[in-house]
Amino acid sequence: MSNNEFKLHPVSAIINFVKGLKDLIIPFLIIFVANGFNISFNPKDEGFWSDIIPLIIFSVITIIYLFSGIIKWWTFVYWFEEDELRVKYGLFVKKKRYIPFDRIQSFNYKEGIFHRIFGLVQVMVETAGSTDGKPEVVLTAITKDAANQIEQETRKAKQVRKEPIVVEGNSHTIRSEVEEISKTRIIHKMKAKDLVLLATTSNSVGVVLAGVAAILSQFSEFIPYEWIFEEFTSLIKFGFVVVALLIFVAFFIAWLISVVITFINYYDFTVVEEDDRLTITRGLLEKKRITIPLNRIQAIKIVENPLRQMFGFAAVVVESASGGFGENDKKMTLFPLISKKELYEPLSEILPTFEWEQPLTQPPIKAKPFFYRLDFVWMIPVIALASYFWFPYGLLSMLIVVPSILIGLWQFKTTGFAINGHQLTIVYRMISRVTFVVEKKRIQAVESRQSYFQKRKNIASVQATVMSGMTGATAKAANLNVSDVEEVLQWYEKSNS
Amino acid sequence: MRNQLKFQIPKKGLTVWRLYGCFNTFFVLILAGVIIFLTYKFDWPIFIYFIAIALVLIVGITSIWLFPTIRWDHWRYEVREHEIEIQSGLFIVKRTLIPMVRVQHVDTAQGPILKKYDLANISISTAATTHIIPMLITTDADQLRARISVLARVAEDDV
Repeated sequence: MSNNEFKLHPVSAIINFVKGLKDLIIPFLIIFVANGFNISFNPKDEGFWSDIIPLIIFSVITIIYLFSGIIKWWTFVYWFEEDELRVKYGLFVKKKRYIPFDRIQSFNYKEGIFHRIFGLVQVMVETAGSTDGKPEVVLTAITKDAANQIEQETRKAKQVRKEPIVVEGNSHTIRSEVEEISKTRIIHKMKAKDLVLLATTSNSVGVVLAGVAAILSQFSEFIPYEWIFEEFTSLIKFGFVVVALLIFVAFFIAWLISVVITFINYYDFTVVEEDDRLTITRGLLEKKRITIPLNRIQAIKIVENPLRQMFGFAAVVVESASGGFGENDKKMTLFPLISKKELYEPLSEILPTFEWEQPLTQPPIKAKPFFYRLDFVWMIPVIALASYFWFPYGLLSMLIVVPSILIGLWQFKTTGFAINGHQLTIVYRMISRVTFVVEKKRIQAVESRQSYFQKRKNIASVQATVMSGMTGATAKAANLNVSDVEEVLQWYEKSNS
Repeated sequence: MRNQLKFQIPKKGLTVWRLYGCFNTFFVLILAGVIIFLTYKFDWPIFIYFIAIALVLIVGITSIWLFPTIRWDHWRYEVREHEIEIQSGLFIVKRTLIPMVRVQHVDTAQGPILKKYDLANISISTAATTHIIPMLITTDADQLRARISVLARVAEDDV
């Protein structure tokens, strides 16, 4: 066994530093904007000290970040010993972490801009224990060769003991490398057209508009509103068409920005199945590669927001036992956007045991009011208050009753469940239609819920919880017939399986 | 129709819940006292008195008498060979089914008040959820904990 110690690439010091600076940018900007950009450097000025002190604090913090970045790189070493990946870091408090190769679930990779300039990669080591959203070990920047070496060491160590490895109660043997390569197949790849569609049908257009509005409100004192207003009144003379055109242009720009963001995040999105693992690569500037072992998949969620449902598209999300896929990826998106017709083929390739389309057992007609009745509990006070305080116009708030009842009815129409062998399918809707598919052995607990009013009508709700990240994920089919709910409970009881 | 679950929480548990309700009411009472004092001192409108008193009465009645009774009535449990079933809830009656295979660990917990009454709470944890059977006689709780851990070990994941 090699006892060489390896260091990270020096660039990781800079990356640590920049990462620290990122957190500082927002408070820094706020202080600058609050001061109106006119910081004086003359000690005789009145506001000199109050202006300069935050600046000094910031420069001190910046220097501290710089040094901590360098120290972190300087002290960080990793090596392989006794079938373990061992990591040591820290200047005053030495921290050591030993991870047996057997326990390593997957390696996830990330290449930021700095990484790509130097041909480096960030490696995140994932184990079964890392459910709190953080990987067990992060190697900030190492060369691609070094990353390959780690993966090969792991593979070698696993191969030496050819016996089955028990991971989370599921045993599987690691196959030889040759076999692995032959088993690689591309499950899904997104084309540019798909990405444009993804950007258009996601809510990111709205988010961009809101973001621009938020930024504008931050800088409101620098915007010459009066001037704009004058211009605008003169614009109105040109007529309604120009205003409509302007709004259209604003939406178009927001749409363009969201397309660009989508391209940056999802460019070259590819899902590959290889040796019982799924590998997802994506990203234009920052490349990410995420691996999920198939046996860690707890449940599949097919999510259709109303816009996508209309055009027959859906997104597929995986509930996985390991939670740590980096900061923003709490949920694993398997297919960000796929047409519903093409959806089932790749899914059944990955998970052949599942049945995807089947008739649902739906709530009875008498359950219809239950889907919107509860909303009146908050709507009536809101309407009453609004009508009281803004008398004539406040009455308009009564209009919210209409969409909330319509959404309730829509939820009623969507809700349902199906049992098929060892598989439970629950379909529900908040706004988006969600199809939740899970195997019996992945369900942690099933719960039926019945209020006093539901009891009178002989209906009840049922929900299933699976492990996912820290809190678990729950799917609920509301207001079913009691007999149907009992069917689910009975199916879940072991004695009847 | 599924059968009603076998075991209920001991009557002593209801007493403890009522005791908790007394603490709650006492807390609200102090708060109301402060508000009434301030109202008196600064000549705030009279209706604040009534609101404060009504609040204390409502909290008292619900948390000492009504809620514990309903909750105690609803709470049932059963530990069978292959699964644990717990029924709980105040307004919404929840019935939870946890297979033995999914149980990761079982804890009993006992605060000073529970200790005085010789009661303990059991909490059953799975990989994703935690479920509580409250207010069991300590020896029963310990036995139950031991039984669940034995059953959970025996149960094999053969699905």
